[in-house]
Amino acid sequence: MLRVYFGDAQDVIYNTSVYFKNRYKKEWIVSPKAVAMIHDIDSSEVLGSGAINSPVMGIIPPTSLSGGVKTLILIDNVPDMMFNASNCGDNCAKWLLKLGSEKDVTVNLRHIMDFGEDEFEIYVVNTDAVVHNMDELAVIAGRYV
Amino acid sequence: MRGIHHIIVQNESLKYEFDIKRNITVLKGDSATGKTTLVEMIQEYLINGMDSGVNLSCDVACRVLTGNLWKEQLAEADQTIVFIDEGNRFVKSLEFAEAIKKTSNYYVIVTRENLEMLPISVDEIYGIRSSGKYGGLTPVYHQFYRIYDFDKQEVYPLRPNDMIIEDSNSGYEFFSAVSENVTCISAKGKSNIFQILCERKVNQPTLIVADGAAFGSQMNRIERFVKRNQFLHLYLPESFEWLLLKSGILRNSEIKKILDNTAEYVESEKYFSWEQYFTELLVQVSGESYLRYNKKKLNPNYLQPAIMKQIIDSIEGIEFTV
Repeated sequence: MLRVYFGDAQDVIYNTSVYFKNRYKKEWIVSPKAVAMIHDIDSSEVLGSGAINSPVMGIIPPTSLSGGVKTLILIDNVPDMMFNASNCGDNCAKWLLKLGSEKDVTVNLRHIMDFGEDEFEIYVVNTDAVVHNMDELAVIAGRYV
Repeated sequence: MRGIHHIIVQNESLKYEFDIKRNITVLKGDSATGKTTLVEMIQEYLINGMDSGVNLSCDVACRVLTGNLWKEQLAEADQTIVFIDEGNRFVKSLEFAEAIKKTSNYYVIVTRENLEMLPISVDEIYGIRSSGKYGGLTPVYHQFYRIYDFDKQEVYPLRPNDMIIEDSNSGYEFFSAVSENVTCISAKGKSNIFQILCERKVNQPTLIVADGAAFGSQMNRIERFVKRNQFLHLYLPESFEWLLLKSGILRNSEIKKILDNTAEYVESEKYFSWEQYFTELLVQVSGESYLRYNKKKLNPNYLQPAIMKQIIDSIEGIEFTV
């Protein structure tokens, strides 16, 4: 399940782009999930572990991916650390839910992300409760962000 | 610094062109819209100049603050537009808010966080609108008559039964006296509005009134309430003092000029928020007249029927049943 800690958190990687730059592994980039996320969010195609074809910037390295995609890749590949998911835009929300549907992932959010109008399950660490839609989430998250 | 500053940043693949109008601007929005790329291009130009292949055009200096070196970098900035990318923890700190308070710079901050410490105008929160290689800024919160209804397709004028007023001073006193048919409650501070909306069942037309000049930090927390409830509306004049100045009750030929082009008059070093500027301006222009203004306690002359009517009539899109 996707687990979210809202507000200021200890031991969170806040600047996910810098962390990604220094810690990413080449094989992360070519995994089917990363390829799909990069295609969906950055509208870019993975050519190999070190090259991505961006429609605007041409051939770019993985470090030039969007902050949102880099954060998602970290969340997927480094499950024992908590990352600042406020570096992700709302267009990353469905991917966070997808990651949470596959395994337990805990992320830190410092704003109210829009997870859309469908029902979902997110465990809010602050209150030890599961929320099922944006109305429930917004009321709880607003206390902490 | 004061005024509107036009910025063009471009390389072979991308061109950004936009205006910065106030001391604090926030960039937010979806991932992959080019926010970080914009800041990186500016940084590359600052480090390498022409060798970067980036062209930066602006009538004042630009600078980028990064990580733990921000204080040293800020100390060197004067009459500068300072860019800060997301991922910088310090932007949420009281220390940062205090450090930028009396500076001559403008700040452009990439963040989705609410930054309670900073007086962010609701009108200076932007996303990047891209079309191919061109990027400009587009307001995140669209308004009609300074009413932010999040595209609810409202038919104006609105006729509120209840009002939630941000402050407990002059603005609250005024709106409480507007109509006996309208119930007014004071939130006693902008950050309490969220809690009121959590606790209150809103089932008749309700208007939240707050100072737009510093309400940006609250929008992420309350937009869903306004979006989802057909009875709930958000009216954000720059400030109550701006409303009084705009109403025309004070005959002063300078006021309209200032309101039409406020950025040219507000010195960032002196005013952390336009709200402070409008308060000072109103105190100054009302002077020793019978409409002498006091923020803490409303001068009863503002409640004279003719004066009150003129103020109320100047609020577009909202009608009060008196």
